[in-house]
Amino acid sequence: MKERIGVYICHCGGNISDYVDVERVRQAVENDRGVVLAKTTVFACSDSNQNDMVDDIKKHNLDGVIVASCSPKLHLATFRSVTERGDLNKYTYVHTNIREQASWAHSDDKIGATEKAILLVKAAIAKSRYAEPLYPNQFEAEKTIAVIGAGISGMKAAVSLSDKNTSVILIEKENKVGGHTATWGPLAMSDEKGSDLSHRIYSDLLQRDNVTVLTGSEVISSKGSIGNFTLKVRKRAQQAGDPVETMEFNVGSVVVATGFDPYLPKAGEFGFSSYENVITLPDFKHLIDSFSGKYLEYRGKRINRIAYIYCVGSRQVDGENRYCSRYCCTSVIHAAIQAKKKFKEIYNFHFNRGIRTYGKQELLYAESLQQGDIYLQSFEDAPPQVYAENGKTKVKIKDVLTKEKELEIEADLVVLVTGMVPRADNSIGTMFKLPKGRDKFFNEVHMKLRPVETVIDGITIAGTCQGPKNIVESVNSALSAAAKSYSYISKGMLETEPIVAEVNTDLCAWCGKCAEACPFDAIGQKDVNGKQVAVINNSVCKGCGMCAPVCPPDAINLINYSSEEIMSMIEQLAGG
Amino acid sequence: MASRINPKFSEELKKYGSVNFNACYNCGTCTAVCSLSTTDDSFPREMVRLSALGLENEIKESLKPWECYYCGECTTHCPQTANPGELMMSLRRWLTAQYDWTGLSGLFYKYLPAFLTAMALVLAGVLLFANSVNGELEKMLHFGHLFERTAIATVFVVIFIPNLLRMWYFTVVKPGGKVPLKTYFTALGELFVHMFTQKRAKECDDNHFRWLEHLILVFAYLLLLFTTVFLNWFSTGNLFVIILGYLESAFIFIITVDFVKDRIQKKKTLSKNSGPSDWFFVIWLLLMGLTAFLVRLFIDLNILEGNKWLYLFHITVLAQWALLIVPFGKWTHFLYRSFAMYFVKIKSVYPAQ
Repeated sequence: MKERIGVYICHCGGNISDYVDVERVRQAVENDRGVVLAKTTVFACSDSNQNDMVDDIKKHNLDGVIVASCSPKLHLATFRSVTERGDLNKYTYVHTNIREQASWAHSDDKIGATEKAILLVKAAIAKSRYAEPLYPNQFEAEKTIAVIGAGISGMKAAVSLSDKNTSVILIEKENKVGGHTATWGPLAMSDEKGSDLSHRIYSDLLQRDNVTVLTGSEVISSKGSIGNFTLKVRKRAQQAGDPVETMEFNVGSVVVATGFDPYLPKAGEFGFSSYENVITLPDFKHLIDSFSGKYLEYRGKRINRIAYIYCVGSRQVDGENRYCSRYCCTSVIHAAIQAKKKFKEIYNFHFNRGIRTYGKQELLYAESLQQGDIYLQSFEDAPPQVYAENGKTKVKIKDVLTKEKELEIEADLVVLVTGMVPRADNSIGTMFKLPKGRDKFFNEVHMKLRPVETVIDGITIAGTCQGPKNIVESVNSALSAAAKSYSYISKGMLETEPIVAEVNTDLCAWCGKCAEACPFDAIGQKDVNGKQVAVINNSVCKGCGMCAPVCPPDAINLINYSSEEIMSMIEQLAGG
Repeated sequence: MASRINPKFSEELKKYGSVNFNACYNCGTCTAVCSLSTTDDSFPREMVRLSALGLENEIKESLKPWECYYCGECTTHCPQTANPGELMMSLRRWLTAQYDWTGLSGLFYKYLPAFLTAMALVLAGVLLFANSVNGELEKMLHFGHLFERTAIATVFVVIFIPNLLRMWYFTVVKPGGKVPLKTYFTALGELFVHMFTQKRAKECDDNHFRWLEHLILVFAYLLLLFTTVFLNWFSTGNLFVIILGYLESAFIFIITVDFVKDRIQKKKTLSKNSGPSDWFFVIWLLLMGLTAFLVRLFIDLNILEGNKWLYLFHITVLAQWALLIVPFGKWTHFLYRSFAMYFVKIKSVYPAQ
C-alpha cells in the first residue's frame, strides 16, 4: 500500500487548463490519503518538470507517482522512465488522462470537465495505492531464425541474417529458389535479368555455412512462441521412390516471405480467354524475353500494334482488390520500351487510369513517351472495351485526355496489365494465425511505424506477402524484417512485459472458457497436484484481459489490473 | 463512330518540323500559360493531343493552329520540353500543305531538294529569258513589270482562290455547320481587321515590339507591291512615288535584317527552330527589299545600264518569290491567318453540329 504519493496535474499549455480548473483539481486531491505532494505544471513532459519530478521523488521519499495529463499512448513511457530515474520501479507509476477524457471531450462544460478531472485523478490515486513493483519476464531464446519463402525477399532476408552470424533455415516450397524474380528477363530500371539477379543472391547464400536452404519443402506445423518456435518441415521426394523427409527445427523467430500470386483475369474480362490474342503482363514479359526474330510474333501471327490495359485486377471498383499493385505501371512501360527496341514496327498503346511510375521510374514513362507510345486514359466508371470486329481485335476508349472522345485501335495483341493478389495458398498464414488486412495480404502492426511486425510476437513479414511491392521495396522490407527478427533473439534472452494474466490455481477448476477467449493462444492446461488448471504462457500473453471476465470462479487476475484495483477506481469515479 | 488512332502521323509531322511533342504528358501547362487560349477555345494542348493520336481529320477541321501567334510561352514553360509552340508551327505548315490542291507545298516543306530544284529551275528560266532578249535592259524592265502583274493574277486565281475554298470546305463546311449567307457578310469585318492589323499578335505576351515590326513590314511590303506593280516605280518620274518606294523597300530590308538576326541568335523561343521555309521566306523578303532599293538607286544614279546583273538578280529573287515562296511557302500565312479568324467568327455564330 502506497503511503507517499506525488500527484502532478498538467496544464498542457492550455489544452487542459483552458477548460479544466487545474488548481481546483490540485486542491481537491492534495489532502487525499497518502498524497504528500500535489503540484500543477504547465508542461509535465518538459525536461525541467521531468527533472523536478526526479528531485521530488528523492526529496519527499515518494513511493508512487501520478501524472494527470494527456493520453498514455503519448507519455506513459516518458513518465515511467522519469519514475525509474527517481529509483522507483517504473510500474509503480500511474497515468491518468484528463485531456482527451476531460478538457477536450467537455470543452463546452468547464465545471463538468473539472469535476470529471478530479474524479479521474482520485481514481488514479486509488489505483496507485495498489501499484506493485513488477519485473519483465525473461527467458532464453533460440538463436536460429527461419525464413519461409526463398523469393527475392526471403533470400535477401537470409543473407542479411547470415551476416549477423545467426543460423538461418531458408524454406522454399518450390523446387527452385528465386520465386517470380527468377522467371523474369531484364528488369525495369536496372535492366539486369531477374534470373541473373536471383542466381547471384543464391550463389552467395550457398557460400555461407550458417544458411540451410531447403527447397521442395513446406512447414507443416509450428508450436511454441517467440524465442522458441518448433517448426515441422516436410521435404518432398525429389525423385520417385525417395522417402518423404520430415524434419524439426527450433527457431527463435520466423520471417514470413511467401510472396504473391499474379492476378488471373476472369474469363471474358477484357476479352481474356475469349480472344486468343489477349494475354496477361507476365505472359507478355515472357513472350518478349524469349522470342527472337526481327518482328514479334504471337501464335504465328505478326505483332505490330499492342494495346496495354492497365489496372486489371487492381484498383477494382466492384471487385475485392481495391488497392494499387504498385509495380505494374513501371513494369509494363519497361516491357513496352523493350518490345519497341527489340522488334521492328511496334506501336504501343497504353490504356491507363493514370500513370503511377513514381520516383525515378518516371524516367521510363518519359522514355516511352519520347519513343512515341500513345497513352489513353479513362476513369474507373468507363473502362476501355475489347471487342472483335471482322475478325480483328479492337480496343476502344472514351479518352479523358481528348474531351472523352471515343477512340479505337486495331490491336494485334492485347496485354492485360495484371497486378498482385495474395497467395491462394494461405497455409502459412493459418498456421501462425497471422491476421490479414482488408486487402487479404498479411497485416503489419502499424503501417508506418511497425511495417514488418505482426501481432504474433516473433513473426515478421517481408516482401509482397504483406502487400504489393516492386523488387526494391520488397528488398527494403526484407532487410527490415530480418533486422527486426534478429533483434528479438539477439541477446539470447527475451524480455516480455510483466503485465500478464495470472491464474489462482486454488480457485481454477479448468473449464476452458479462458482459453477460448484468448486471442493469442496463450492459455494452456496443466496438471497441478492431480488437478487440471489453466496455465498462462507468459511469453505469449499480451495482457489484454479478455480471459479475466469470462472466468466463472474469478480465478484469473490481470497483473496491475486486479479486481481490487479496478473496484477501488470505480468507487472513486462513482463519487467515493 | 470511334476515331481511329494513327501513330504514324507523328512521323509525318516531324517532316514538317515538329520537335519532341510526343513527350507531352498532358499536364496542360501550355494551355494555362497561353495568353490567347480561352476556356471555350483552348490550345495548344488539344492540338498536341490530336497530333500525338494522329487524328488527321480533326486537325484538318481545326483553325486553332492559325489562332496561335507563337509567342513561345508554352514552350518556355513546358515541363517535358515537348515544344508545343513548334508543334503549332509545324501544324500550320501541315495545314498549308493540306489546303494546297497542287500538293507542291507539302512536297517543298518535306523535301528540301525538291524546293531547291524548283528554285534552280526558276533561276534558269530567268537566265533563258535574259538571253532571249539579248540582255537588253529596256526589254528586261518591260517584261519584268509585265511578269509581276501576270504572276500576281495567276497565283491568285489558280492557287489562292482554290486553296482558300478548300480551307473553307475543310474547316467550315465539312464539320457540318450550316451557316446562313448573311453571316459571311456580317463577319467580313473580322477578315480585314486581322489581315491589316494582326491585332491578335499584339495580345501575345510581351510582344508589342514584334507586332509593330511585323505590322510595318506587312504595310511596307503591300505598299511596295502596289508601288512597283501599279505605280511602276522603276519607270516613274514622280518624285513622291520614287521616295515612297525607297522608304518601303528600306523598311522591308531593315526589319527583315532584324528578323534574320533573331533567327541566327536563337535567343527568342520562336526563333530557335527555323525550318528551311522560314529562312527562305525572311531572306528572300530581305533580298526583295534590298535589290528593289538598289535597282531604283542605280536607275537614279544612271548606272543600271552598266550593272544589268543587279536587275537580273532582282528579277530572279522576285520570280522565285512570286512563283514559289508566295504560292507554296510561308507567305500564305498572310491569307490563312486572316481567313482563319474570319471562319472562327463565322463558326462562333453558327457552331458545328
